[in-house]
Amino acid sequence: MAVSQNMRVLIVDDEKTVRRFLKATLISHGYTVSEAVNGAEGLEYSVSAHPDVIILDLGLPDKDGIEVARQIRQRSQTPIIILSVRDDESDKIAALDAGADDYLTKPFNAGEMLARIRAVMRRLLPQRERSVCTVGKLSVDITRHSVEVKGRAVHLTPTEYDVLKLLVLNAGNVLTHGRILKEIWNKTDDFEEVMHLLRVTVSNLRNKIEPDPNRPIYVLTEPGIGYRLCDDQ
Amino acid sequence: MAPYLVSIALVALTTFLGAFVRKTLEPANLVIFYLLIVVIIAVRWGKGPAIMASLLSVLAFDFFLVTPYLTFAVSDVQYMFTFTGLLIVGLVVSALASKTRQQAIEAAGREEQTAMLYRLSKDLAATDSLETVLDTIRMNVSQIFDCSAALFLQVEHTVTPSSVDSGFPINEHEKAIAAWTYENGKPAGWGTDTLPAAKAYYFPLKTSQGPLGVVGICFKESKKGIEPREEHLLSALASQTAVAIQRAKLAEVSRQMELVRQTEKLQAALLNSISHDLRTPLVSITGVLSGLLQDLSPLDSATRKELLETAYEESVHLNQLVGNLLDMTRIEAGTLKVRLSPCELRDVLGASLQVLKDKVEQRDIRIDIPSDLPEIPMDFTLMMRVLMNLVDNAVKYSASDTLIEITAKVLNDHMEIKIKDEGFGIPSQDLEHIFDKFYRALKPRQITGTGLGLSICRGIVEAHGGRILAENNLDKGATFTVSLPLARKED
Repeated sequence: MAVSQNMRVLIVDDEKTVRRFLKATLISHGYTVSEAVNGAEGLEYSVSAHPDVIILDLGLPDKDGIEVARQIRQRSQTPIIILSVRDDESDKIAALDAGADDYLTKPFNAGEMLARIRAVMRRLLPQRERSVCTVGKLSVDITRHSVEVKGRAVHLTPTEYDVLKLLVLNAGNVLTHGRILKEIWNKTDDFEEVMHLLRVTVSNLRNKIEPDPNRPIYVLTEPGIGYRLCDDQ
Repeated sequence: MAPYLVSIALVALTTFLGAFVRKTLEPANLVIFYLLIVVIIAVRWGKGPAIMASLLSVLAFDFFLVTPYLTFAVSDVQYMFTFTGLLIVGLVVSALASKTRQQAIEAAGREEQTAMLYRLSKDLAATDSLETVLDTIRMNVSQIFDCSAALFLQVEHTVTPSSVDSGFPINEHEKAIAAWTYENGKPAGWGTDTLPAAKAYYFPLKTSQGPLGVVGICFKESKKGIEPREEHLLSALASQTAVAIQRAKLAEVSRQMELVRQTEKLQAALLNSISHDLRTPLVSITGVLSGLLQDLSPLDSATRKELLETAYEESVHLNQLVGNLLDMTRIEAGTLKVRLSPCELRDVLGASLQVLKDKVEQRDIRIDIPSDLPEIPMDFTLMMRVLMNLVDNAVKYSASDTLIEITAKVLNDHMEIKIKDEGFGIPSQDLEHIFDKFYRALKPRQITGTGLGLSICRGIVEAHGGRILAENNLDKGATFTVSLPLARKED
C-alpha cells in the first residue's frame, strides 16, 4: 500500500495492550508509529513527532480526550481519529465538534481502523482529487456536476446535490448532523427543525441513488451522530 | 319478671277452676293440680318462680278452697298435713326440675361452645397465611361474643395490633394494656381488677413456648361483666387460636425460606447461564490463539484462516454479550437514558440491517414500509438495538431459505412494526415468558444467546411508552410486534 509509505501515526492511549495491537498492525502495513501514554505526552508528541495521523483514546488518565483533541486542532490540521466505547454518542459528537475527524468504537477490527486512516488522509488531498468518487454502481463527479447510477444520469434537487457533494468530498469520513446543517443550511441552532429537512433530503437522495432505499449501501447512517458515504464496496 | 307474673296467673287460674269443683270434689284432690302447675313452672322457668308458686299454691288453697273459705283459718286440722305436704313436694319438685333445667341449659351451652370452636377450627383449616388466620380468629371472636375484637402480636419487640375490627378502640392506652396482658399472661382491662378503666377486655394467647399474642374484646356498652362461661369459652378459644397462629407463623417462616432458596437458585442459574455464555466464546478464542502460539506448523493456511475467523466471530459475539449485559443492567437499574427525537423507521431499520450485514446478507428479507410513514419520536440507537435483536432472532430461529418480512403501519395513535418469520415458531408454553430475563425457549442448543435480547427489547420499547408482543403465525413461524406511540407523551 503505497499510501502508507513513511506515514507517521501517533497513538495516544493508556492501555498497553491496545497500543501494542495498534502498533503491530500499523507497522505491518508500512506505517511508522509513535506512542503516547497520556494526554500530556499526546499533546507534546503531536508536535514533536510530526505525525500524519493521530489515534486518540477518549478515556485518558490525565486529561479529557475531547480537550486534547481541541488543543491539537488549535495548533495543527493533523487528522485525528478518536477511540471510544459504545453508548458514548454525546462524547463522540463533542470530540468531532472539537476537531476530531472520525471515530472508532472499541472493540474494532484492524480492517476498519486502516480504512478510517486512509479516509482521513484523503481529506488532506486537494479538492480536485477528491471530487471524483465511484462506489459500486454510483459515480459522482463534482467538477462535472454529474451523478450517475449504473451509468445513467440521476437528477437531484440542489439541496440533495449539496448534501451528496459534501458527503463525496468527505467520502469515508463521518459527517455529524451539526456539520451538515451548518454547511448546507448555514444553521448553528434550531437543529430540531432543520434536522427534519436533513432527514427528508437524505431519504429522497437514497430513493434516487440507492439500489434498495430500505437498506442503503452508499449513504450510511451513523446512529445518533450523522452520515457517512461508504467509499469501499 | 315475666315468669313470676305468669306463675301467679297460673296459680290464680288453678284456684279459680278449683273454686267451681270445691263442692263436688274433696279439696285434698285439688292439690294434685297445684303440684302439676309447680312442676310445669319449675321445668319452664326454674327454681325461683317454682318456689314462689309452691308458697302461693299453699296460701291460695288454704284461702279459697279449704273451709272456712276466704280466711286462712282451717277447720279440719288434717289439712295442715296437706299444706305441709303440698309445700314440701312443691319445693322438692321445683328444686329437681330446675336442676334438670339448669343441666339442659348447660348442655346446650356446651354444645353451642363446641359448635363455635368447631366452626372456628373449620375456618382456620381453610386459611393459608398468617394474615388470614388472624382475620378469621378476629371475625369468629367478634361473632361469638357479639363485640368488636382485635388481635395483638409481638412484632419486633412491640405488641402490635395485627388484625382489628373497625369498631375497636385502638389508642396508646389500650395498646399499653394489651402489652401488659402479653407480658404478664393474665387478663386485664375492662371487667377485671387490672386497669378496669380500659375500653376493652384483654385476654392472653399462650403456647407452651411462651406468650404469643393478646386478644382484645370490646363488648357492647350494656354488658355488665364477663361471665365465667364466657371466660371458659375464651380460654378454650385462646388455646385453639394460639396453635393456629403458631402454625401460620411457622408456615410463613418456611415460605420465606423457600423464597430465599428459590431466589438463590435463580441467581445461581443466572450466574451459571452468564458464565456459560461468556465462557463459550472464550473457549474457542483461547483455543485458537494458543494453537497459533504453539505454531502448529501442520496447519495449512486455509485451516489457519478458518480457525482465526471462528475466533474473530466468537470475539464479536462476546462483545455483543457484554453489551447485552450492560443494557440489561441499565434497564434493571432504571438508568437507561432514552433520548427521543423524531426518526424515520426506515432509517433505523436500514442502520440495523447494516450492522447485521454479515448475518442477513444471505437471507431474503422483505421490507414493506409505506413511503409516507410519519417520523416518530425514538431513541435511534436504542430502537436499533430492538430491531437488531428481533431481526437477529428471526434469522437464528428460521431456516435459511425462508422469508423474513418486516412491515410497518400506523394504527390510530401508534405505529405498529411487525417482524415475521417462517421459522420454528415459539412453543405455546413459552409465549408468556419469552420476554423474561434469561428465559430461552426450549430450542436446539446450538443456537446461541443469553436469553437477554428479548427482555432488553421489552425494556427499551416500554421506556418508549410502547408495547412488544410475540405470537405464532397461523401457518408457521412467529411474528413480533412492536407498537410505539406516534407522539411523545407529555409528562
